Amino acid sequence: MSGVEQGETGTGRVAVLGLGNVLQGDDALGPYLAETLSAKYEFAPGVTVLDAGTPGLDLTPFIAGLDALIVIDAVRASGAPGEFRSYRRAELLEKPPPQRLSPHDPGLKECLLTLELIGQSPAEVLLVGAIAGRLDTSVGLSDAVRAGLPQVEAAVLAELARLGVPARPRAHPAEPDLWWEKEP
Amino acid sequence: MSKRITIDPITRIEGHLRIDVEVDGGKVRNSWSSGQMFRGIERILQGRDPRDAWLFTQRFCGVCTTVHAIASVRAVENALNIEVPLNAQYIRNIIIAAHAMHDHIVHFYHLAALDWVDVVSALKADPAKTSQLAESLSPWPRNSRRDLEAVKAKLAAFVERGQLGPFTNGYWGHPAMKLSPEVNLLAVSHYLQALEYQQVANKVVAILGSKTPNIQNLAVGGVANAINLDNSSTLNMQKLYMVKDLLDGVTAFVQQVLMVDVAAVGAMYADWLGYGAGVTSYLAVPEMPLDTKGTQFDMPGGTIFDGDLSTLKPITSYQDPYFRDNVTEAISHSWYDGDWNKHPWEEDTVPKYTEFQDDGKYSWVKAPRFQGRPMQVGPLAQVLVGYASGNPLVKKWADWMLTTAGAVAGVKLGPNVLHSTLGRIAARAIRCATFSELGLKHWGLLVGNIAKGDTAIFTPWEYPKGEQRGFGFHEAPRGTLSHWVVIRDGKIANYQAVVPSTWNAGPRDEKGQKGPYEACLIGNPVADPERPLEVLRTIHSFDPCLACAIHTHDAEGKELAKVRVL
Repeated sequence: MSGVEQGETGTGRVAVLGLGNVLQGDDALGPYLAETLSAKYEFAPGVTVLDAGTPGLDLTPFIAGLDALIVIDAVRASGAPGEFRSYRRAELLEKPPPQRLSPHDPGLKECLLTLELIGQSPAEVLLVGAIAGRLDTSVGLSDAVRAGLPQVEAAVLAELARLGVPARPRAHPAEPDLWWEKEP
Repeated sequence: MSKRITIDPITRIEGHLRIDVEVDGGKVRNSWSSGQMFRGIERILQGRDPRDAWLFTQRFCGVCTTVHAIASVRAVENALNIEVPLNAQYIRNIIIAAHAMHDHIVHFYHLAALDWVDVVSALKADPAKTSQLAESLSPWPRNSRRDLEAVKAKLAAFVERGQLGPFTNGYWGHPAMKLSPEVNLLAVSHYLQALEYQQVANKVVAILGSKTPNIQNLAVGGVANAINLDNSSTLNMQKLYMVKDLLDGVTAFVQQVLMVDVAAVGAMYADWLGYGAGVTSYLAVPEMPLDTKGTQFDMPGGTIFDGDLSTLKPITSYQDPYFRDNVTEAISHSWYDGDWNKHPWEEDTVPKYTEFQDDGKYSWVKAPRFQGRPMQVGPLAQVLVGYASGNPLVKKWADWMLTTAGAVAGVKLGPNVLHSTLGRIAARAIRCATFSELGLKHWGLLVGNIAKGDTAIFTPWEYPKGEQRGFGFHEAPRGTLSHWVVIRDGKIANYQAVVPSTWNAGPRDEKGQKGPYEACLIGNPVADPERPLEVLRTIHSFDPCLACAIHTHDAEGKELAKVRVL
């Protein structure tokens, strides 16, 4: 989806952002699902689906002014790799953000809090994902995380439906653009 | 007795920057800079088609996406001797300028300024006095009393709810914080406005790059922005004017707000012009190419040794052997197998982890050297090289900064004060103002060239047989970035990226020469070892970007950054 449309669709803005680094094993979960969803579904006007990479504080422009945000991300938590996790806004903001040492350090939490100061922080935030297994420099998801994908995908679709902007399966689904998984 | 302080945000992101200092008598006596994560990312590129390399390299880092994309296509173009059409150079240059402004605005307001601005103190400010002060410094229309009252009310509401939001981790009330409540309020107000303007800069990149944060419009040999003024889906006048409006908006913010704030805040901390010089040999590469080959540039590159501007030796083209032949990376203190100092084309990446050894290996970062010497890279290097070269734009904005800050501080400031912690911050603003003009200039060049009937955006080419070696550089927001590629029969045989934060954050080399982060901390004051704000000031002045991040959401929210005092 082109970033150019971003911010020009008016009211009822929802973004589904896949966060993560496609070169770091299971961290690719967010981009992987963002591309998969774009290929399989048509989205209501005002809904943006984007592989957003790992922008740190540069996430701010992609969140500013949204009504609702759905983040897909690999999760670090106790549990087995591939296990489903989801967090709502209040849970995400429960702990204070970390000390900043580099521009990567401010993350989702800091972006949401910062935007709150200018009244542009989305009221609805849901983070969905699966517990990561491998996070080394490598291309491709682990089997455990791959097995957990359907549940994460279903959670994104359920949230879009709950927000009143359901996604519709494409009559002719495209092949997802998972360029990083191509063999050399 | 000396105390050891370790600043190590270890838990949140898998390895990151770790800084160790030994403090004695309130000053730093020894220091180590360590990258805590092994990437070895270049290995993913081996065997791939060089045409795809930029897609992968722009994922090295989530913050510096476009810069790795640009360095990568330039490296492959260099290896294959491909010239780039003028339109493609200009489009890339406008993206470079917009990205630079975005990055520098975010760095100052959202990373560095909070080390100098006491947000909580702003609650004591008088908005009327703040407005008077602001209007004496700048014509910016959004410094009215009403604007500032609104900001103060917003901040008060935040604090009343018992939270400081994004400001939670600041060292508020630290003895090293010295601004008046009014200056603090002004800075908070511009912090909020900066959130808007970084979005404006980002839109320029989105329009020309087809997408952000990872642009899609590059190609080895040019760009993929079809130009057809009569077609609504290509680059046309409507889109070009949209770009110009956005550039105009960011330019005004940079020149009337960022420059003024940096001068004013800097002037109140003039003692910090005496700290943080460290390595005063500088390296910058030329940027903003004006021809298809890369032999003429708007921003000069070159080297300066030992803080002496008269030693300037220019780097003049994309083919310049002075750059090509003098870059090496050393691993004697890095967690790689062996002890060598090799040219990037000859390097390998074989990890060998030990524990943190003060006198042995202690970092995943290699130690880049130029003619065997550590070099500081970044906006300061580029500004000093530009100043020494007599570049009129750089001189104009550097002199403006020095005159304005000097007037506020009541002293006369020359370019020599720039070798410092504050100098790095000032240089970033000077660079940003310079790029604000260059972005618009290259917009004009693009439109002028299209008006002449030139719509070429891509040079067709074919792979030659056998082996080719290339290097591509880009003067990125954090400094000199170079990609080095060896191509064999159309496939990548070796690939190395020597990134700005490696130059600056690298460890000691085989001769024991400290890297720039390490050297600049020596002599740095530390008032309170439990809250080493001054160390952060100096490290932040480089705008570290080391992790090239992994972004796992940490659900446990353990202690997310820690300072250990031993």
